[in-house]
Amino acid sequence: MIVAKRKPLGEIVEMLAPYQKITVIGCRSCVAICLAGGEKEVKMLVSALKIKNRKEGRKQQIDGFVVERQCEKEWVKEVEERILDSDVTLSMACSLGAQTIGDMYPKHLTFPGLNTGMFGVPEEQGVWSEKCIGCGNCIIHTTGGICPIARCAKSMLNGPCGGSANGKCEVNLEVDCAWVAIYDRLKLQNRLDLIENFTPAKDWSTSHSGGRRIYVREDAKLSQHQKKGKEAVQ
Amino acid sequence: MKAKIQVVLCKCCTEIPSVLRLESLSKLASESNNVMSVMTVDAICDGKQLAPVMNDVKQKELDRAVVLACHKKDVSPTLLRAYRRAGVNEFMVELVNIREEVVLPHANEPERAQAKAEAKLRAALARSLMLQPLERQTEEMKTRNVVIIGAGVAGQAAAKEAAKAGAHTVVLEKSGKTLKVPGVVMQHSTLVGAEGYGGNLKLKIRAGEKVESLDAAALVIATGGGWTQLKGSLAKAVKDAVPLYKLNEQVQVDAPIKGPVVVVDSPDPSGKTMAVQDFAWDETLETVVELKKKHPETEIWVVFQEMRAFGLSELVYKEAADAGIKFIRYDKGGVPKADPKNPGVLSVRDFSQGEQLNIRFGTLAFASIPANPDNRLIAEVLRIPMAADGGIRRGSIQRWPVSTPRPGVFVCGSALFPKSREAAEAEGEAAGAMASAFVKRGTIEFGGVVAEVEQEKCSACLTCVRTCPYEAPFIGAAGKAEIRIQACQGCGMCVGICPSKAIELRNYTDDQIMIETRTLLGGDF
Repeated sequence: MIVAKRKPLGEIVEMLAPYQKITVIGCRSCVAICLAGGEKEVKMLVSALKIKNRKEGRKQQIDGFVVERQCEKEWVKEVEERILDSDVTLSMACSLGAQTIGDMYPKHLTFPGLNTGMFGVPEEQGVWSEKCIGCGNCIIHTTGGICPIARCAKSMLNGPCGGSANGKCEVNLEVDCAWVAIYDRLKLQNRLDLIENFTPAKDWSTSHSGGRRIYVREDAKLSQHQKKGKEAVQ
Repeated sequence: MKAKIQVVLCKCCTEIPSVLRLESLSKLASESNNVMSVMTVDAICDGKQLAPVMNDVKQKELDRAVVLACHKKDVSPTLLRAYRRAGVNEFMVELVNIREEVVLPHANEPERAQAKAEAKLRAALARSLMLQPLERQTEEMKTRNVVIIGAGVAGQAAAKEAAKAGAHTVVLEKSGKTLKVPGVVMQHSTLVGAEGYGGNLKLKIRAGEKVESLDAAALVIATGGGWTQLKGSLAKAVKDAVPLYKLNEQVQVDAPIKGPVVVVDSPDPSGKTMAVQDFAWDETLETVVELKKKHPETEIWVVFQEMRAFGLSELVYKEAADAGIKFIRYDKGGVPKADPKNPGVLSVRDFSQGEQLNIRFGTLAFASIPANPDNRLIAEVLRIPMAADGGIRRGSIQRWPVSTPRPGVFVCGSALFPKSREAAEAEGEAAGAMASAFVKRGTIEFGGVVAEVEQEKCSACLTCVRTCPYEAPFIGAAGKAEIRIQACQGCGMCVGICPSKAIELRNYTDDQIMIETRTLLGGDF
């Protein structure tokens, strides 16, 4: 899932300071599950802002609620009035949610309440770790199911490097060396021969380097005819 | 139907009116919305004074009450029972503590006390209007088995006591020792799994090679303590140190003991191991006094960090000191040490004199029973908390000394923390009696204050499932969280952590808590 973290309260307060009417909108998907922007976090932030305002004698009207998935127009549309009724919207979704609202209402101000971090998995209650960077060309079948692009600080394709010591990474001694993990996993699978293989430079054109990526599935797209029909119904 | 509130003000004899003006509280109450009746009583804890209060409830057909009295624990069971009989749901009775929370801390500032009491009354009245009646449910116990883990001193006492009270006992013993205890004894067996809840527990027991399942209504943990060897620098230098219990045995059977004798209060004085408990002190004192009696010529030293000789043990300490036994106190700066090159000498800095001592010894004994390592496994299987020193944590030292937080699971003896044979026996009997009393009820009561999931809001994120210590939440057939209410203890952990705010604790819902808080503090937040 997408893992995010709430911005520090001070930063949010500063961002919102010039405005009177504020709408905080959370999201019930990834950011709810990673305990960053679900209904609970939204309510807690709204309370925290109100308490801070009261302590510092600032007057703002703050309201907060959640939508099912903030990255989808249909869900955002349902709360359009509440968005446009405010001076500024603070999005407690990942940046996708904040940008969806921003694109839909370009004149309206939409600010981010979270720092969107990574694609991560919950290792245990309250701990998330990054395992994929979305490079668009998956190779983990050759690396024992462990992604060296995301999990190695240097994204090395042929590892480990000389900075790997005692299973740890030289960049951060608390981080496990991805290539040691790959070695151990391949050994477990009796596929150690794979580590001898030389992997040439990867095709990075599928990654972010080529600018914004757009995926299209032609068979799923609506035809002009269908679109017209829908418009007619509406 | 319109809410009808009864407000009861308790004088606590004369204590409350000595600080608070009850007439003005009474006036505030009678002028509030939905308050149909305000009564002042001398002492609500006195059963006789309950009658007029309950008659008032019945006469005016009141459906809820706000009672301003003392600590909940002191008044609630009898009071709630009376209200239940008078037709008021017990969850509709709001108790406000104006004694410990108002009168006592503000005894010298009556104006502040009055303001606080009024604020608390207003908040309670606001909350009272938000309350909903709740019902408890019952389930039949499918078995009468009381399972006792461990057949040591405490376990045997528990088995005997439970059997005497008519329970069917099953004793699990890790070793192969044969025992004369009532009921079934399973040798070479350990608890490896537990499902369900007190009353209807399904246990998995490894007996020898096989894993068997066993139904139990109640469980008594009597795993006892465990001994460790000497650790740290002492262990390297002294190879023949004896644990205190061995020294005690040698004294009892008149075995030859090589003097001088030094008793150290911990197996690892320089390490983190906790200093010995009061029990080990009793054992130490009794052992050295006995030794001195039998061998007056033997020189005896007791080297300790902190002396805990409670009650009558003080007399034993005096006897020991009078008999010429030397007590040397040390602190972290001068822990007892031994040098392998200089065997038979213990060096320690005498804390009170600031002097380095080299004590020559023939026998080195060490006190302290650390907790049984099995405790951790059992606590994990049963999902009950442990105390910091490695024992099982009990419910409450005053109120539930042999209970765990899980209903139907009891604990006794050195599984809690090291203690003497007598104390272990007494606790074993208590735990056996508690377990059989629990089983005798025949039914399990549950419900009331439990968590409830609003499924539409649930995103099946598993946070509640991971958080709950009692395995109450699970993801049901609809792909949403559900609560096994028989297992729910109403602790509210899942409620607090749920990121989608899909869970509420009945009787402590957000609305109920917020209206109370807002009334107390004023304003919107």
